[in-house]
Amino acid sequence: MSTEALESMVGGEYKYGFTTNVEYEEFPRGINEDIIREISRRKDEPEWVTEFRLEAYEKWKQMEEPNWHNVHYESPDFENIQYYSATKKNNGKRPESLDDVDPEIIATYEKLGIPLQEQKQLQGIAVDAIFDSESIFTTFKEKLKEEGVIFCSISEAIHDYPEIVKKYLGTVVPKGDNFYAALNSAVFSDGSFCYVPKDTVCPMELASYFRINNEQSGQFERTLIICEENSKVSYLEGCTAPKFSSTQMHAAVVELVALENAEIKYSTIQNWYSGDEKGQGGVFNFVTKRGHCRGDNSKISWTQVETGSAITWKYPSVILQGDNSVGEFFSVAVTSNRQQADTGTKMIHIGKNTTSTIISKGISAGESNNSYRGQVKISSRAENAKNYSVCDSMLIGQTCGAHTFPYIESANPTAKVEHEASTSRVGEDQIFYLQQRGMSEDDAVSLIVNGFAKDVLKELPMEFAVEADKLLGIKLEGSVG
Amino acid sequence: MLKIKDLHAVVEEDGSEILKGVNLTINKGEVHAIMGPNGSGKSTLSKVVAGHPAYEVTAGDILFEGESILELDPEERAHKGIFLAFQYPVEVPGVTNKTLLRQAYNTIAKAQGKEELDPIEFEDYVAERMEVVEMRPEFLERSVNAGFSGGEKKRNEIFQMAVLNPKLSFLDETDSGLDIDALKVVAEGINQISGKENSIVMVTHYQRILDYIVPDHVHVMVDGRIVKSGEKDLALKLEEQGYDWLAEIPSAAVNGQK
Amino acid sequence: MTTLKKKEQTFLIDLLDFQDSLNGNSEFVDNVRMKGADEVRNTPFPHSKDEEWRFISLRDLYSDSYQHVSVLEEKDPDLRDYFLPECANSRLVFINGVFSIKHSSVEALPDDIVIDSLARLAASDNPLVKEHLNKYTTFEGDVFSSFSDAFLQDGAFIYVPKGRKIDTPIHLLFVQTEADITYFTTSHSVIVADEGSEITVVEDHIGLGDNKYFNLPVVEVSAGKEAYVKHTKIQRDSQEAIHIARTSAFVEKHANYESYTITIGAKLSRNEPRISQRDEEVKFTVDGLVLIDGEQVSDTHSVMDHRFPHCESHQLHKCVIIDKAHSVFNGKIFVRPHAQKIDSFQENRNLLLSRKGLVNTKPQLEIFADDVVCTHGATIGQLDEEEVFYLKSRGLNEKQAKELLIYAFALETIENITVDSVQKLLVDEVHNFTERQLHSEFTI
Repeated sequence: MSTEALESMVGGEYKYGFTTNVEYEEFPRGINEDIIREISRRKDEPEWVTEFRLEAYEKWKQMEEPNWHNVHYESPDFENIQYYSATKKNNGKRPESLDDVDPEIIATYEKLGIPLQEQKQLQGIAVDAIFDSESIFTTFKEKLKEEGVIFCSISEAIHDYPEIVKKYLGTVVPKGDNFYAALNSAVFSDGSFCYVPKDTVCPMELASYFRINNEQSGQFERTLIICEENSKVSYLEGCTAPKFSSTQMHAAVVELVALENAEIKYSTIQNWYSGDEKGQGGVFNFVTKRGHCRGDNSKISWTQVETGSAITWKYPSVILQGDNSVGEFFSVAVTSNRQQADTGTKMIHIGKNTTSTIISKGISAGESNNSYRGQVKISSRAENAKNYSVCDSMLIGQTCGAHTFPYIESANPTAKVEHEASTSRVGEDQIFYLQQRGMSEDDAVSLIVNGFAKDVLKELPMEFAVEADKLLGIKLEGSVG
Repeated sequence: MLKIKDLHAVVEEDGSEILKGVNLTINKGEVHAIMGPNGSGKSTLSKVVAGHPAYEVTAGDILFEGESILELDPEERAHKGIFLAFQYPVEVPGVTNKTLLRQAYNTIAKAQGKEELDPIEFEDYVAERMEVVEMRPEFLERSVNAGFSGGEKKRNEIFQMAVLNPKLSFLDETDSGLDIDALKVVAEGINQISGKENSIVMVTHYQRILDYIVPDHVHVMVDGRIVKSGEKDLALKLEEQGYDWLAEIPSAAVNGQK
Repeated sequence: MTTLKKKEQTFLIDLLDFQDSLNGNSEFVDNVRMKGADEVRNTPFPHSKDEEWRFISLRDLYSDSYQHVSVLEEKDPDLRDYFLPECANSRLVFINGVFSIKHSSVEALPDDIVIDSLARLAASDNPLVKEHLNKYTTFEGDVFSSFSDAFLQDGAFIYVPKGRKIDTPIHLLFVQTEADITYFTTSHSVIVADEGSEITVVEDHIGLGDNKYFNLPVVEVSAGKEAYVKHTKIQRDSQEAIHIARTSAFVEKHANYESYTITIGAKLSRNEPRISQRDEEVKFTVDGLVLIDGEQVSDTHSVMDHRFPHCESHQLHKCVIIDKAHSVFNGKIFVRPHAQKIDSFQENRNLLLSRKGLVNTKPQLEIFADDVVCTHGATIGQLDEEEVFYLKSRGLNEKQAKELLIYAFALETIENITVDSVQKLLVDEVHNFTERQLHSEFTI
């Protein structure tokens, strides 16, 4: 098969590009102290949150946009972004029941495959539906509460559980951690909050479905998950956005805290609109995700399938502080057309006998660039720490690029670090072999890519694995030239 | 079943002609052996029949069940029941044998208007076929050919053939790289699969596999043409005398036409 | 930060003032110097905020002011211990940056090869100098290269004509003597192997004392069409020295460039081998061995630039770190668009044997062609306990077992060096090093 044919197979039709017709509240563009106070006022926040925002804003003003990454884009005009977006009907008030939610929005989620109505709700998954950084509705909230698990929007948590939020917010990703985290800390609108009490295994999967709809606004959600001693949770997140010719800014912060013997599994399927084949439009995805294994024997595991966004800039990380704690990062990043992804992880080993595993699979096609950037740091106290990393790249065609930037540091002679990386491609011989066994070119490519990404895909929870499989298929199928 | 008429084929990349007028007829249920020195074009012939994109047919035709298949994609030929056991089976990391086989089996079944098998039915079916080539069950969970020894890869090809049950199979140097025990297992498998309905073409360099699988016809290919056809004893003669004596024979006269 | 800046400037200005007083005895050399000096004035010196320098501190370099090596009195040390028997009559010696006729001899080499001091060739306006100097370098915008140009004085110049295959290895011995002052010295060597020729060069840097100096050697290599160049570099500068080297090689069609860099000396060393593929179908090797202890810092930043289809490249970089030593590796593999059929291998293995040691490694791939096989790997760790146990079960004591394993670890990178005496010398160095390792207080 010709390379052109292979290339034309990537960049399959984006199926989530529709727009929902809703009316938004008026809100001025730009960022300054007044804007931040106004966000805080509309969300009826306590003073300490307003202060948190203002301090972050002060830090942000002093900071510069990072430039060390391997992505190139026109810097967003931060004065032209609308930092708060709420639909008129909700008027900033949280819905008591689904009746309070705009039926258009309910229909949108249904279209995305996430029905919110009680009788249709996905079984075994509690969903927090976030529409333009505003939590619209959370399913199974009451049922979870029976087990002591709190799952709600972060705005709600600030009102109802201020002591927990105050104790943990900004402790994993400090206000001034980096440019985008600082911006988020200043203007965050909504996001999910999850608290699993001591000795509790969360009885169902928790999921947040993020939807960007407003062309003018940025999305700045903030997620906080706390797992107390001996507890366990699995959390999923999915993201989609309409096709706009302009770009949208998404700068999220996710903080995870795992106390002794706790385990958090965080899975993402990121499928924001990635722009067209000329690179017009798409979401700028600047995300700071970090987990803190605070307690001994705790475990945090990140799994991500990154297929969307014009720009992806995210490094879900784990600080391995507790002794024997475990950090994992499993990633598949697919880029096509003009997409640029710079993604990876940081594993910071502080505690004794800490172990981390990194498996990253990057697939580049079209004119895209796909970079793995990772850091493994073994501090001098991390006795017998172990890290194992594999970063493989697959190139489809001759106009894309694959980059690997692993930073490895060890200051402890009892630690063991192993990193390996390789590149491969979808071989013509492989395609012919599979065709000879009866498969079409599309199916052959899809099968080869799925095989390449298998070590990561198998880490996804069942409910997501099917979706991820389909997503890779859609991304890589299409008209064979 | 298969009729190859004056087939000429070139390497697409540089235009060099490898097949220079091949004629060959294979009937239902027959076992053929194509022998010949290195570079004679015998492997190319099997690839061209399977539709390998690296070769271009410049003249002649290939008829399968009476219809030309030249315009068909490789998978369409597979759907019709043509199977190629590769000389160098390709590795597909991360894709298990089971996944490949089920997808291949069902795609072909669908194209042929047969019933597809659900995972449980397929499991039973495969278990039965595995015995043919003495495969262990854990083999199904391994990635296609990845990390296999040369012998394992060859056995895997025959196993796939046993599962897909093709009408016509080209076995390209399936015997090379096998020790004598593995050769026996593979040959035994091939014998079990072949029958009244299936035809087999063995492309081979050595005659030793023919001790286990007795061909109905033996052809000798030299420089892109079939220069001599005969029965089993021809293979023995080649073993003893090599290929040089064939160069004396004018090719047009013994062109494999029966 | 401001203090550091000031220091950089002192370092720079003092020297540039001095530079004006140098006389190259050649208009060509003077022009190179002036251009170099201009570039230095317009290029900031690096510091650890720069990505390329982030793992090390250059404080040791900037904290002193240096005098040019030419202010030292002429020295005539006894160098016999450092001579290689294979190179008795194929040797160029430079003492404190200046060519020493007395210790040099090229009698064993055929007449048609040009081998001499760069300064002498330049002074006699030899056209080869103009033709080849600074033609095989990929250090544009690099302040240290400009700095070296600004002080261009001497170095080895070798030109091997078409088809000439030289079996006798050539020893380039750069000697730094003891001194009361902190000095800096440069050398610029050019090795040109024309079409179909073969040559083996041993570049050898030796510090006779334990004084501080700043050594800045530049080496350019051109492996012409079908040429075969074997280049071994041994860095055994003084334990207080700063060694910042620039090495670049252009590899032409069907050529093979093999380089082995052994780092033993210097308090702070930075090697930057940059291999540039200039045509199709080439091979190159950039292996390295680093043995460091005390407070030594060794930094290797390599570039393997695959610019055309069909190339086989290999890099095995091994480091043994004891005491408070710090090893840095950043190996870049570039595969440019359309450079298909590249087979590139890179591995960095580190034995971190000390509580106070530190390792940074950053193997890096940047690939723009799909039909390539590029792999890299990095490991940091201890000796394998199983292996130690195995050897002990065969009757070796702990010390012997460890020594043997470190030795085996190091040996892999030097066993391909074809000059016997160099191999032997390195084997001895490895022994000395493991001996030191076992006595280090930080060894676990």
